[in-house]
Amino acid sequence: MATAPLLVLPGDTIDPSLIPTHRKQPLRLGPGLRHIPPSEIVPTVAGQLVVDPKKNSMWVEYNGGRYIPSTHDLVIGQVHRSAADLYYVNLSPYTANAALPHLAFEGATKKTRPQLLPGALIYARVTLANRHMDPELECVSSTTGKAEGLGPLTGGMAFDVSLGLARRLLMARNREEGRVEVLELLGAEGLAFETAVGRNGRVWVGSESTKTIVLVGRALKETDEGDLTVEQQRKLVKRLVKQLR
Amino acid sequence: MTVTAAPQAALSVLPRADGSAKYSHAGYTVTASVNGPIEAQRRDEHAYEAHVDVIVRPAAGVGGTRERHLESILQSSLTQIILVKNFPRSLIQIVLQIEATPENDYVNTKLVQASLNFSIMPALFQTAILALLSAAVPMRATATASVVAVVPETKSKKLVVDPSPRELEAAQSVHVLAFTSQGELLLAESEGDFTVEEWDEVYETAEDVCCKSETSKSDVDMMLDDDDDDAGPADMHQFIRSTLEDKVAADLHWK
Repeated sequence: MATAPLLVLPGDTIDPSLIPTHRKQPLRLGPGLRHIPPSEIVPTVAGQLVVDPKKNSMWVEYNGGRYIPSTHDLVIGQVHRSAADLYYVNLSPYTANAALPHLAFEGATKKTRPQLLPGALIYARVTLANRHMDPELECVSSTTGKAEGLGPLTGGMAFDVSLGLARRLLMARNREEGRVEVLELLGAEGLAFETAVGRNGRVWVGSESTKTIVLVGRALKETDEGDLTVEQQRKLVKRLVKQLR
Repeated sequence: MTVTAAPQAALSVLPRADGSAKYSHAGYTVTASVNGPIEAQRRDEHAYEAHVDVIVRPAAGVGGTRERHLESILQSSLTQIILVKNFPRSLIQIVLQIEATPENDYVNTKLVQASLNFSIMPALFQTAILALLSAAVPMRATATASVVAVVPETKSKKLVVDPSPRELEAAQSVHVLAFTSQGELLLAESEGDFTVEEWDEVYETAEDVCCKSETSKSDVDMMLDDDDDDAGPADMHQFIRSTLEDKVAADLHWK
C-alpha cells in the first residue's frame, strides 16, 4: 500500500477524509467495521484499515480469531452426521454445525446423491450466513447447476492454518498480493498435488503419494507459523524437497 | 505516586486458543485465553446475545467466593464492550489464569493464594481486553482499568495508584475504575470508608492513568510514533495501542 498502514482499534474514530466517496456506487463496508446510523463508521476489531477507492469499499485487515461464516465464502467442512434430507457439517471446532442439503450437489436427485459418512471432508460455498440461524452450504452453483470444483474431497488430508493465510491463498493473485508462493514453488519442483483452500482456515492437500501430502502440509504450516517472506519460502521449499529426495 | 515497573504484554501466546495474552504489571502476571464465539450450553444460551463467560483461576488452589465476585464484575463490564448482539445463542469464554501476585514482605504467607482483592482487577481487566483483541472478537471500544487506594498518613491522606500489599493493608478505601477508549466510565467499584471528595480525587487520578492522552485528543497519532519507544506509554490506552501495533504489523507482514 502506498500510504502508511493505519492501525485501528475498536471504537476509534475514523478520519472522514479517509472514507472513500463515489458518485454512483454505494459505500461498501467490509469485515471489522460497523455503521452506526446516521453517519458514524467505527472499527470493531484491531487491525489495519484498508480503503479501496475504486470499488468504493473499506475494511479492516486482521489475522486471527475464529471463523465467522459469511455468504459466498468457500469453506472446507467435515461431515458430522446425516439427517433426513441434509448433512450437518462442522466448519470450526465447538461451533454450531452448518447445514448442507442432500440435494445441493451436482446432478443430485433423491435417488442419486453422494453418500457421505461422518468424518468426510467437503468443499462447499456458504449460501446463508445469518446471526440468528445456523449457516447453510451448497456444493453446486445454483445459477449454472455445475459443481465448479466443489464437492466431496476424497483422499488427501486437511491442514489447519490461520485465517489470514487462508485468505491470502484465496486471493486471485496470491503471489503478488498475498505474498505466498510456497505452493507454486513446490509445484515447480516437480511435485504433483492438488489443493483446496477453505476460508475457515483449512487447506486440503491431495496427491498420489503420501510423502508429497505431508510435505506440502508442512510447508504451509511453517509458512504460516513463521510468517515467512517470499525469500524464506523459497529456502524452505528447497530444504524440504532436498529432505524428500 | 509510587514508581512501578512499566507494564509488559505479549499477544497470542497460546497456540490452541482463538486469542490469548500475557500481561504483567505491578507484580501481577496474568495469562488469558479467549475462545469464541462458540456454541453455548443450553443453560447459558441467550436468544438475542452472546453469553460472556469469565473464569478467574488463582495462582494456587481452586477459586472461591472472591474469584466469583471478581468474575461477576468483569463479566458485567466486558459484556458492555463486546458486541454481544452480533452472536446470539453463542458463548465467548474468557479464562484468566493468575500466575504471580506481589508478595507482602511483612506478612509471612504460606499460601500464594492468600486473598484476591481489588488490586488485581486492572491486571485481569487489561489481560482480558488484550486477549479479546487478539481473538478479534468484535468490540464497541477498548477499555482500561486502574486501582487507586486512599492511604492515611499522619494528618493527611494520599492516593496510591497500583498499591503494594502493604499499602493495601493500611488503606482506608480501595477503588477500581475502568474507562473505555472514548474516556467514558465503564466500571467503578469501591470498598472501605471514603467521602465524596475523596472519590472525586480518585476518579481524576484513575482517569489520568487510563486515558490521559484522550483528554488532549488531538495529538494521539503523533504521540504514537515518537513517545512510546523511549519514554514508555503515556497511559494505559496508549500502552494497549502500541502492543497491538506490533501484533498487527507482525500479522500483516505480507502487506
